[in-house]
Amino acid sequence: MTVRIKVKNAETGATVEMELEVENTIDEVIESAATFWSKDMGAYVLRKGKKVLRGGGSLTESGIRADDVLELIPDPEGG
Amino acid sequence: MEEPLRIGAQDDEVFDRSRRIGWLDLESIFNARVMMVGAGALGNEVGKNLALSGFRRLTIVDMDHVVGSNLNRCLFFTKEDARRGAKKAEVVARGISKISTIADPIALDTRIEEVPDSVLREQDLILGCLDNIQARIHVNSHAYSLGKAYIDGGMEGFVGRVTVVKPPHGACLQCGMNRSHAKVAEMRFSCTGKDVVFHEPRLAAEITTTSIISAIMVREALKIVSGRPDMSLSNAFYYDGQRNVSEEIEIPLDPRCPAHSRAD
Repeated sequence: MTVRIKVKNAETGATVEMELEVENTIDEVIESAATFWSKDMGAYVLRKGKKVLRGGGSLTESGIRADDVLELIPDPEGG
Repeated sequence: MEEPLRIGAQDDEVFDRSRRIGWLDLESIFNARVMMVGAGALGNEVGKNLALSGFRRLTIVDMDHVVGSNLNRCLFFTKEDARRGAKKAEVVARGISKISTIADPIALDTRIEEVPDSVLREQDLILGCLDNIQARIHVNSHAYSLGKAYIDGGMEGFVGRVTVVKPPHGACLQCGMNRSHAKVAEMRFSCTGKDVVFHEPRLAAEITTTSIISAIMVREALKIVSGRPDMSLSNAFYYDGQRNVSEEIEIPLDPRCPAHSRAD
């Protein structure tokens, strides 16, 4: 089963629509979106509303539904 | 006999203005043992804020030395420190002693991985001012298993994050990590036969974001030590200075997180 969702780039405000299988994982969504925007090698998290989504969880396990908007935010490493 | 009232006496007392914040427990702050891991840009600012807030018993851990490119955002570092490659932990400890009337900082010029658990166990609170994921995972898992509150800060450019971990309840830093963190951590360490090379990235950094993130970290420390978990961040705080956005975000506990299995 497939679902269409939108992923928003927190740094630029841009969005991309993605068609995904419900078995796809959050890790895979992060990688695809980061590659699409040619992001620098770095750590990112995906959130739905206020909640950070677990990388290994599938879309189903993460409660993702069609037309959800997820946001890709950087997890800064520097100190 | 009671001390006579003296005009202007309040202005002589260093912590008079802090005492006016009703919920701040200054006695607990004076007595708390706090470890700061990392004495770079964030460590300079966190150290300054801790010292001026009244934290006295500070242990500062860093194995690195001062270089010229630190000088645009590190209060305690000087050109002379960079010239002679002074140890960051020692310079920050010395700087703290200069600005605080009461602090007694200890500098540990070593990697955090070399610091024994017995030293971590003595702490009431640990603040992470680190620049790599591997070290963060190390401190997070050790702090969690020892039941020590851990406040971690991270920054890049105008973006910053503060995560507050309060074992034994709730998520830890590693619960919020995913494969992108693992890839970055893996990239930093490349093993070629018997050699291990550490790739140090040159990340964008500037002082205003450092100031904001360090202030939030130390404010959370004040709340925890003052026994005000009701005011404390429940998980993480995200800040984007380019878009002027700041908000609290939630990291759910991951039952498969290795840090939790270690604690159990």
